[in-house]
Amino acid sequence: MRLRPAARVFRGGADGGPEVALRARLLDPARLARYDGLALHVRRGMGDRPGERRVPGRPQPSGIELEAHSAYAPGDDLRHLDWNVLARLDALLVRRFTAERDVVAHILLDASASLAVPAGDDKLGTACELAMALACVALNAGDAVRVAVLGGDAAPNGVGRAPDDAPAAPVFRQRVSIPRVATLLAGVCPQGSDGLGAALERYTARRRAPGLALVISDFLMEPHEVERAIQALRARGYDIHLLHVLGAGELDPTRVFSRGMLVDVESGATRPIALTAATLARYQAVLAAHLDALRALAARCETSYARLVAGDDVAGLLTGALARAGLVRRR
Amino acid sequence: MGILNPAGALSLVAIAVLLALYLFDRRRRAVPLGTLFLWQHVPAAVLQRRRFRPDALFFLQLALLLALIAGYLRPYLEDAAAPAAGAPLVVVLDVSASMQAREAGGTRFELARRRARALLDELASGDDAMLVAAAERPHVAQRWTSDRALLRARLEALEPLDTPTRLAPALELALGEARARPGTRLAVLTDLPPEETGMAPDELAAFHYIQLGATDDNLAITALTIDQPPFQTAREAAVTAIVRNFASTSRPATLEAWVGTDRWERRELVLGPRATEHVLLAHPPHGGELVVSLLVDDALAVDDRAVGWIAPGEPLDLLLVSDSRELADAFGALASALAGSRVEVVSRDRYRAEGVTGRRAALFDGFVPAELPPAVNALYVAPPAGNTICPTTRAVDGAAVIDWEPDHPALHGLQALDAIEVAHTNALEAPDWATPIVLAAARHAAFPLLVAGERDGRRIACLGAELAAPLTSSDKLPLLMLTLGTLRWLAEPFGGAALAVETGIPALAARGPTAPVQGPGGGTGLHLAGDPAVVVADRAGTYRVGPPGGERLVLANLFDERESDIGRRAAAESAPTVAPRVPDARARREIGWWMYLAATALLATEWLVWARRPAS
Repeated sequence: MRLRPAARVFRGGADGGPEVALRARLLDPARLARYDGLALHVRRGMGDRPGERRVPGRPQPSGIELEAHSAYAPGDDLRHLDWNVLARLDALLVRRFTAERDVVAHILLDASASLAVPAGDDKLGTACELAMALACVALNAGDAVRVAVLGGDAAPNGVGRAPDDAPAAPVFRQRVSIPRVATLLAGVCPQGSDGLGAALERYTARRRAPGLALVISDFLMEPHEVERAIQALRARGYDIHLLHVLGAGELDPTRVFSRGMLVDVESGATRPIALTAATLARYQAVLAAHLDALRALAARCETSYARLVAGDDVAGLLTGALARAGLVRRR
Repeated sequence: MGILNPAGALSLVAIAVLLALYLFDRRRRAVPLGTLFLWQHVPAAVLQRRRFRPDALFFLQLALLLALIAGYLRPYLEDAAAPAAGAPLVVVLDVSASMQAREAGGTRFELARRRARALLDELASGDDAMLVAAAERPHVAQRWTSDRALLRARLEALEPLDTPTRLAPALELALGEARARPGTRLAVLTDLPPEETGMAPDELAAFHYIQLGATDDNLAITALTIDQPPFQTAREAAVTAIVRNFASTSRPATLEAWVGTDRWERRELVLGPRATEHVLLAHPPHGGELVVSLLVDDALAVDDRAVGWIAPGEPLDLLLVSDSRELADAFGALASALAGSRVEVVSRDRYRAEGVTGRRAALFDGFVPAELPPAVNALYVAPPAGNTICPTTRAVDGAAVIDWEPDHPALHGLQALDAIEVAHTNALEAPDWATPIVLAAARHAAFPLLVAGERDGRRIACLGAELAAPLTSSDKLPLLMLTLGTLRWLAEPFGGAALAVETGIPALAARGPTAPVQGPGGGTGLHLAGDPAVVVADRAGTYRVGPPGGERLVLANLFDERESDIGRRAAAESAPTVAPRVPDARARREIGWWMYLAATALLATEWLVWARRPAS
């Protein structure tokens, strides 16, 4: 592994501006308090590093929760010898305990340029807030968190983005790291148009140990690109959850414009559109078909899928849709 | 005549853009959106019309655009004497470790080779075929050829490796070949279920997918951990072997551990279905090469053996150059706690370079001499600003460790380094010869806290943090362990420690000899190349690299639970299919380049007309 200077993931200087406001919003104590008592439920993707997650079916010599007995062998710790069994059955058995493993929640934030538009929707802020909420829930429950900002080119000033193949995307393991997560997220600068599938293929090539993959994106791409991303994660054994952040202006374009030259911020392509009743109805149908395709893809790939409209209550999503999807539960 | 890229007709929309530039007002509103792919299905609108007044420039630009679009459409002329196309075949053969698993009719690889042989025999005379071997990386075993004997010889020469499976790159390679050669048949022979290849179902549909193997009878050593405290003897080492039963039935097994030529331990194990057993082995007889093996007759043998290295354990022998009495006392306490250790303390003004000779390592506290110490590895702690060996950028207060390089030997066995918090430190700047192995961050920036590398034939490490007293207190324990781990790396002789790698995964090798190689397969299972040298092992086992007497060990193991979990629901085979159809480029003569040439000429003409137009 070649380390890159981690300065790339932090905003330098104290120039204030939007990132300072976003950081303050992410660290709002009233907001963070709503995530207390929640934990992430992981179905698979356990690593081999010791941790606090209990993994039944893989008994080990030490631990807390008794799971099984096995025959004593020289070298076994005599403290775990079951003396009651020895007295009753005259058999040397040692206790085996439920394995406790570390779970790394990979928060994969797709920060391509589309996340910054429409400007009034605050998709970026909502995506960062969702990433922050998931990181808080994981850290509060003792799980490790790796935050990776996926996307195209690095930001012009070299900060605000950890390229998807950068090993410097840090792992946070303690609650005191929550301000650092907020600093990292507040420095995210949406830019570039690199495909989500390619980005995740490169990411998983560097992170061989599986974990919990929480993909936050606006998924404004063809469904086969999303499927490519899912396949990259599945091939490594990740437990995948798709979290779709959609702008209100994308649901209802009349909030953004009535007529004009539409410009694709990622490709630069343009298209003149005048919003009439017919074009609006056509757009709504195309959007509904896209959302249905994403939901069907998630069902086919056995991943969960949840949608959040920018500006909606993130804590409500955690305790509502994500709880029903089995990702979040009460501790 | 026809076109090879009908989808390129979409580029005709460029004409609409050109027309729009002429037709519409330049002040029209631009609305930035995340994507247009949803809006592509919505009819475009005429926003604002004005009188269309085409001029020569417009017609030239229109002709230029049409020429470019025509080139992009890849027009072709039918060749009157098109050669008769055969049915080329690409065979992708999985040669990963799990293909060594024994089945009823032989190993999975032998079954796969038998099927591949049959596929090659079915080829018509003159048909081309290609052979691709897939393991951790794809490898073209035989390029396109119609020589049946050559193909057969290459197929017979293939053997399964001891590496994990990554089938997707090989399948991508085969798909690429199929797109270049229309009508190509694709066949893949593997024991991996299709859903675990990492490929999309529609891409897999192009393959004749032959899945082999069904048995799940396998016990494996899935990990081997050797914990050895710094500067302790080999007797203090502890070895943990994780043994897993991947079968759905209970299995007995015997685990044996050997150190060098001496048998160390023998354990009888009984593992339940899909159960895991952690076997702890303590107090080895001495240091040396460790071989742990399972004596069990299961289907896959390659993961029944693991090798490791127990270092002989050298005591601490250190020259400490410091003016701090507290630091000298702390290292004195350490030396008295480590049997056989020796720490000599000299002040900065009494330090002489020749006094270092004979020591295993030197530690300079807040002091960097102008010259490197002769023939001794050195750790520089809290180097002052302006020195040339460990350059620093600035002083930082209140920093904490955020990331580290767990594979670096100086950090071997260390965990939870993020517990290190330092009140005062110098932000280091990694010189060319060094690599940052521990990163710390303060309020707004991250910086290297520990850098290490080799310079002028010596190992050098720089630690930005101060070693403030009391060093042996519980609060400073992580920093102390980091320091001792670094000193252990500095004190070990070059080539003395073995390099442990996992098969198929490239690893950076330290400086040292790269040839000759002795080991499994006559040493051909290990590849060393590049500067700095990168090592990749295709075969598990112990390799000795270098001339006799100066050789170093490379220990390769297969630790991959996905590879050891050989159980499959059932063998399966998809119907033979043909790859996505692409027009046959060989039978047609493309004339797209003529269009691009015409576009170039039009561009030059358009520029001339534009340059000579009257000023308006």
